[in-house]
Amino acid sequence: MIEKDISKYNNLFSEYTELRIQENRNCAISIVNGDIMGNNRSSESGVSARVYKKGVWGFSSNPTIADETVKTVIKAATENALYLNDRERKNKEPFPISIGTAEKDFKTNQKRKTQKDMIEFLREIDGYIEKKYPDLTARTTVYRSLEMEKALLTSEGSQAYSMVPRTLIYTSLNLAKDGQPFELYEIFGGFGQFENIFSKPEDLFEKINTQYEHLKKKSEGVYTKAGIADCIFGPDLAGILAHEAIGHTVEADIVLSGSIAADYLNKQVASPIITMVDFAHTAMGEPCPIPVFVDDEGTQAEDAVLIENGILKTFMQNKESAQHFGVKPTGNARAYAYSDEPIIRMRNTAIIPGKDKLEDMIASIDDGYYLMKSSNGEADSTSEFMFGIVKGYEIKNGKLGNAIKDTTISGVAFNMLKTITMVSDDMAWSCGGMCGKKQYIPVGMGGPALKCKVNIGGK
Amino acid sequence: MKSDRELVKYCIDRMLTKGAEKAQCYLKYNKKHELNVDAGEMKLLRTTFDTSILLKAIINDQKGDLKINKKDEGSIDRAVDQVIELAQSSLPDKANDIADKQPPKEFTSGREKADLDVMYDRLHDFVLYEKERYPKTMIDQAIVDFTQSNILIQNSNGVDFAGNRGMYSFSVTFTSKEREKVSSFNYSGFSSKELDKPLHEYASVDMLLKQSGEQIHTSAFPGKMVGDVIITPDCLSSFIEYITMYLYDYSLISGSSIYKDKLNEKIANESLTLHSYPRSPEIAKNYFFTRDGFEAQNMTVIDKGVLKSFLLSQYGANKTGKPKAVNSGGCYIVEPGTSDFEKMVSSIDKGLLLCRFAGGNPSDNGDFSGVAKNSYLIENGKITKPVNETMIAGNLAEMINNIVNISKERIDYGSEIYPWIQVKGITISGK
Repeated sequence: MIEKDISKYNNLFSEYTELRIQENRNCAISIVNGDIMGNNRSSESGVSARVYKKGVWGFSSNPTIADETVKTVIKAATENALYLNDRERKNKEPFPISIGTAEKDFKTNQKRKTQKDMIEFLREIDGYIEKKYPDLTARTTVYRSLEMEKALLTSEGSQAYSMVPRTLIYTSLNLAKDGQPFELYEIFGGFGQFENIFSKPEDLFEKINTQYEHLKKKSEGVYTKAGIADCIFGPDLAGILAHEAIGHTVEADIVLSGSIAADYLNKQVASPIITMVDFAHTAMGEPCPIPVFVDDEGTQAEDAVLIENGILKTFMQNKESAQHFGVKPTGNARAYAYSDEPIIRMRNTAIIPGKDKLEDMIASIDDGYYLMKSSNGEADSTSEFMFGIVKGYEIKNGKLGNAIKDTTISGVAFNMLKTITMVSDDMAWSCGGMCGKKQYIPVGMGGPALKCKVNIGGK
Repeated sequence: MKSDRELVKYCIDRMLTKGAEKAQCYLKYNKKHELNVDAGEMKLLRTTFDTSILLKAIINDQKGDLKINKKDEGSIDRAVDQVIELAQSSLPDKANDIADKQPPKEFTSGREKADLDVMYDRLHDFVLYEKERYPKTMIDQAIVDFTQSNILIQNSNGVDFAGNRGMYSFSVTFTSKEREKVSSFNYSGFSSKELDKPLHEYASVDMLLKQSGEQIHTSAFPGKMVGDVIITPDCLSSFIEYITMYLYDYSLISGSSIYKDKLNEKIANESLTLHSYPRSPEIAKNYFFTRDGFEAQNMTVIDKGVLKSFLLSQYGANKTGKPKAVNSGGCYIVEPGTSDFEKMVSSIDKGLLLCRFAGGNPSDNGDFSGVAKNSYLIENGKITKPVNETMIAGNLAEMINNIVNISKERIDYGSEIYPWIQVKGITISGK
């Protein structure tokens, strides 16, 4: 636990300074075929300071949280900023003052479970899978939690404290068919601590049964046919599309580095039925998976409406990029660890639901695919994207057909978005992954089902 | 104030006192100086200090692992109590163990301190060089850092190693642009004990910067075919990672590895020899011992196409009954072949120079598919034009059996050394 109020260090600042004290607490348990392969906990905490001087930054961090090291890191960060300023002489103006305050502690009110409790919880899941599905060649059950606790103070007067937890259980099932191995994973959980998300193992059994059924069908599945196809993206895919293929191209630092989106502001980039938002903390009246109230530069976080009715409206900004573009910062500056500087990151990026029913969307396709789950994704400055697909089905004459084997889809997002003709009226969030930029950080992504045309790999 | 050696010994003794039958402590200090260029401008200087203490306790074959970054006595005592509780919470597994006693050793490589002025000058000169030489190309981010790592590892069997490494690293990500046309981004980098030449002269940095400008204007790959692909050293790194993934603990313990029964059998064309050389003087990003307490040795993973070693840890080896690797993998070196790169290109009527691969994670059976990024069409023995929206698909096991040629030329990244490799039988499909 860290001190929530660090305002006592206010008199140590001589330049624009952000002071952050942070602790990240991780827990990981993995059970492979009944054996506990991993049983780990970690805690990393420390203090960091970042100082701005006329267009350049200095940063320093130290794992020891004490009055003396707070002084040391502020001094070292200031010296680093002065070192660069002496050589670079950019003479940029100070940022317009922006002050944010918040205190948000999302820790559970319930009695905390012990490591033994959580191991028992996982073992019950593992035991269920072993007994129910003896034909599996391997099974893996993993528990992972991350608690990010931060206290921030800036020389402008921003003051914030947050404790944001995320808890996940992964199950991965392996099956062999005609000597060929097949795998399918699922992720359960999200925002919150274990006690608020998982009550009893049996709650997951039905979902695991569904996971097994999909795997069984995948093992009997067909290869996709390479080429452009009519597809329905499930919410998982819509979320990763929003994050990877579009979101990254409209981060202001990527825009400044040559993203194709630089030339698209206020232009039609998507079908008029598409609206996409990077939510700060609350979406459609519900809390988001990764709530950010004040970012790590001290800016009060606001939603960034990226695409509205198909028109590209804005970029995600930190203080420096906002100054460059002459707009307000959006509160997207986030750091993963105490030893990381804040950089522009997405928070909870989602495409907003439309008016169509999923069954009507599937019924509208004669020959195509329903793509439900992605393994990984990557996007480019051109908005060209690639997603690995690990769960999906053929659509033949408006009905779901054979399952498909693992494949890859690709396209140019700003072209592909214009092919979207239907958007489902519901949506789902996921926050199982870590987004990699300079640092890894948890993000939320979500969306409805989308009907579109996309390039699919295959034999 | 305890010395570091006394601190590590204190951790082990306390774990034993609290009930551990076997105990290991790993202490690491990192001091890093890092200069950042963002969007083509020198922007940030970072100085960071970090401490990691990893405790491992085994009680009745039950294991717990704990990591903290504090070394005051109160934090250590709490951490010891927690790791004992973790071990007691676990299940017995006879595969849990710690390394046997080996002769104590201290290892050192690289310089002790960063030369900040050299780092600044090299990065500053790089930015100027890049802007002048490649005006259409923009640096998204370029980072030079120097990291000094000091590691101690001891266990209750008497293992006692110390390792000290100083190393510079450079990474650069860039994109080229002309009016509204943008290239795919690309990246390069290297590790080195010294920065004794301009940054663009290391590894593939200058070659990829030059290519980036060419990749603003791309063409579709014509049609769909099964044919030859030349994998560049930068791209080979991804494929080596995919292949070696099947040799590590998880893949072999879960039984999903395609190579689980292939030790000492031919798994690749005989032209392929893959070493893992963490102790080679050729590798700046080296390591001296493994996280589970064994002195690291150089080894050959694939020798003339024959699988000679898995990459199993002590736990993985105990669990599977297969031999433990003598290192933790990485530091890969692929032996050069006999062909000139130019001759490889001239041998292909129609194919692809695969410069970067953005793909889905390969399936358990080795199938892969994805997008050929920053890549070129080869026609009539010549590299003709950069391609867009081109997908490739194949199977990793088949691919390394279908190696046609390996180049004499290689690129040294300081962390790996790779040649160009020509393979056949890859499905290539244009838009």
